[in-house]
Amino acid sequence: MRSKRKLSVVVVLALLTLVISACGGNSNSNSNSNASTNAPSNNAQTADNGQADASQPKDGGSLIIAVGADPVILNPNYAGDRVSLTIDQALYAPLFQINSGKKTFYLADSLTPSADMLTYTLKLKSGLTWHDGEKLTADDVVFTFNKILDEKQNSFLRGNLIVGGKPIEAVKVDDTTVDFKLPSVSPAFEATLVQITPIPKHIFENEADIEKSTKNAAPVGSGAFKFKEYKTGEYVTLERFDNYFGGKPHLDSITYRIAKDTNAANLALQSGEINVKYLDPQDVSTIEGTGKFDIMPYAEGRLSYVLFNENSDRGALKKKEVRQALSYALNRDEVIQAAYSSAEYADAAKSILTPDTLYHTNEVPSFDNDAAKAKELLQAAGESNLKLRFIVKSGDKVQEAISLYVQQKLKEIGVEVELQSMDASAWGAKAFDPAAKDFELAISGYIMGSDPDAYSVLFTTDAVYNSTHYTNAEVDGLWKQGGSEADTAKRGEIYKQIQEKIADDAAIFPIGYTKTIVAFDKQFGGVEDAVLKPVVIFEDPSKLYLK
Amino acid sequence: MRQLIAKRLLQTIPMLFFVSVVCFSMIKLAPGDPVLNFVTPNMNPESVEQIRHNLGLDQPAYVQYWEWLKQSLTGNLGYSLVNHQPVMDQILDRLPATAGLMGAAIALAVLLAIPLGLIAGAYRNKWIDKAINFLAYIGISVPLFWLAILLVYLFAVKLHWLPSMGMRTIGKNSFWDVVKHGILPCVVLAFGFLSSYVRYIRSSTIGQLKEDYVQIQYAFGSNRFTILFRHVMKHVLLPVITLLGLSMADLVAGAIVTETVFSWPGIGTLGMTAAKGMDYPVIMGITLFSSVALIAGNLAADLLYGIADPRIKLTR
Repeated sequence: MRSKRKLSVVVVLALLTLVISACGGNSNSNSNSNASTNAPSNNAQTADNGQADASQPKDGGSLIIAVGADPVILNPNYAGDRVSLTIDQALYAPLFQINSGKKTFYLADSLTPSADMLTYTLKLKSGLTWHDGEKLTADDVVFTFNKILDEKQNSFLRGNLIVGGKPIEAVKVDDTTVDFKLPSVSPAFEATLVQITPIPKHIFENEADIEKSTKNAAPVGSGAFKFKEYKTGEYVTLERFDNYFGGKPHLDSITYRIAKDTNAANLALQSGEINVKYLDPQDVSTIEGTGKFDIMPYAEGRLSYVLFNENSDRGALKKKEVRQALSYALNRDEVIQAAYSSAEYADAAKSILTPDTLYHTNEVPSFDNDAAKAKELLQAAGESNLKLRFIVKSGDKVQEAISLYVQQKLKEIGVEVELQSMDASAWGAKAFDPAAKDFELAISGYIMGSDPDAYSVLFTTDAVYNSTHYTNAEVDGLWKQGGSEADTAKRGEIYKQIQEKIADDAAIFPIGYTKTIVAFDKQFGGVEDAVLKPVVIFEDPSKLYLK
Repeated sequence: MRQLIAKRLLQTIPMLFFVSVVCFSMIKLAPGDPVLNFVTPNMNPESVEQIRHNLGLDQPAYVQYWEWLKQSLTGNLGYSLVNHQPVMDQILDRLPATAGLMGAAIALAVLLAIPLGLIAGAYRNKWIDKAINFLAYIGISVPLFWLAILLVYLFAVKLHWLPSMGMRTIGKNSFWDVVKHGILPCVVLAFGFLSSYVRYIRSSTIGQLKEDYVQIQYAFGSNRFTILFRHVMKHVLLPVITLLGLSMADLVAGAIVTETVFSWPGIGTLGMTAAKGMDYPVIMGITLFSSVALIAGNLAADLLYGIADPRIKLTR
């Protein structure tokens, strides 16, 4: 009876699947018919383009962007999560931005360092206003700066404004000019300033605790779009700010729709309820197949790598030769293929710095794919029957694929890998615990921004984020030098050395500079001018428009 | 009666205390660190310590629990570690969405289960019984999220009849819009319950049909339909009341899955996010709320039992 029932369940599931695949078949014919119905409009479009490439993009329309969670806080001084940062990008204009090495000024007109590099003069554009019509001036910039420095305000940006133990000072010169006075030379200051977004003084002046202020629930910004409505768990809607200094935005509104389940969100994308969404490489073909979306992969300034825990109680990874041997056992292109399904979605990485970082070079030792060499090195290091523990975040397709690949490749050089799958928070707690000794390998990644100084926390002896426990006194010294060297040429030389030495030490096995893939509804345009940007998707959403 | 309610309510106090202790210990034993929510690599260790201190996370677990308990007794469930909003506000904000969805799903499940269960019981081992049983079996076996994705694909992507996600169209605030958005999640959630209800009603129908009063009704010449839907149904409804009380617990679990798939802004999605971020004040708040709901559900079921059938004496 039971087995009979089981059988019938299987039959019904099979039937349902058939129904669905029949729908899938329909979808093909549908998309064909769509294609044919779309054809005239496509023609119309080309005609449009033909006669008026110079014509201005149309105004109006609303764009819906999928986000994975509720924003944590709509205040750029406290936002650290992807969703809040994404919404803040449209809500609050930055002073200036650096994207792929290119500097673009927004609220600021210029930033000029003094000859001794101890004072930076920031000039604001004139006639700037907040969304509520108040003037945006140097006072707001100084206020923001001081509030971040105020320990009681709990902003995690504070540490960045301290150089050599002393705070940087912000001094108002006139309504549109601010001088930043540094206690000592800090070439990374520009990269720090990029992260500072002015918040309105007239709104937050009397708040004892800005982080908990109820005023964050109805934010007043200076960006291209102003706050309209937030429905918890559903969406955040922003509407056009007509007095935006960069010119009136084209779209009427942008809505960030909260969609927790990726599969469901992909369906919503197909049904037209969402216009923009991040995609996993595995989902690209399905979405591309609808013919309604442009698939846009772009570099995130992120490095994905195999982490070698030198601190593990089995000790072997402390030896440089062993780490080099493990690297020799792997083939970068195969790892990328296994994890990201196509070289299109990750560029092979050799350096610890990402390509968008100053002084990046991929001309470093890479120990790629030479099993014989690997065995030789292991023997030389006196390691045989090596057993390694590899911690894997369960449910993470990329990590699972890479770990299986690594297990198989290391077996070829006689190293046994035991995979330990664990849930995301357990994984995070272990991988980033400075005291963890019970694993050797993991997959990790980082986004550190445009200045190489930021990377020092990852590869300096005993630094907090040095989860590999890499230690090299010479490299420690170089990081120090690089952080305070004002001469660009000398600085470049220092960071080149750092990249070479760390690569030669095989502190990590760099896999790829990964890309983010975004599906963008073909009904909209203007992406080139809006500029795809890591983490926040669009650098300047005012440039997007409905075709 | 009043005494009974008072007694039962008093009994819930140690129970809630126990639940809160267990829940808190489990959160503290689980791997993961709420501070990871805030830590970005370009943050220096002093800032991390500062944050830990400000949140009270540098205290031993029992002190943290005591602080939480003291606060909760004054009706303040504390602040979320992630977004610093009061937990109570967040829960009250999302309660209507979940309550509405659950209410509709239970109503739908009961409305369908009663006739299906009665018919299945009356036509025991006939083809129609087998068909209904089979449906119930599918309902138990099919994972809810799979069913949800299936329905979304069919009704939202292919047919464009219904929206696939959220509780309303952006910027719209009409009741009908919410209803339209609620249809798919409600059907999915109801389907999850339907099976157990149907099987329960079926077996109690079979039991009732053997009773004397049914034979008497037959002797009086009543037809099957009247007997089933007038007389037997009255008796069958009784166990359904208990079932409703018990299903409060399943509902919370079902709601987490359903709300996540449909991005329904209820307690389920809130709890899911909180669990991921180790946001313990929110997890504790939700646990308390669902415990209270469960206890209240069972109490209400017991009381209704007494009202529905006065022969059952509410003493003890």
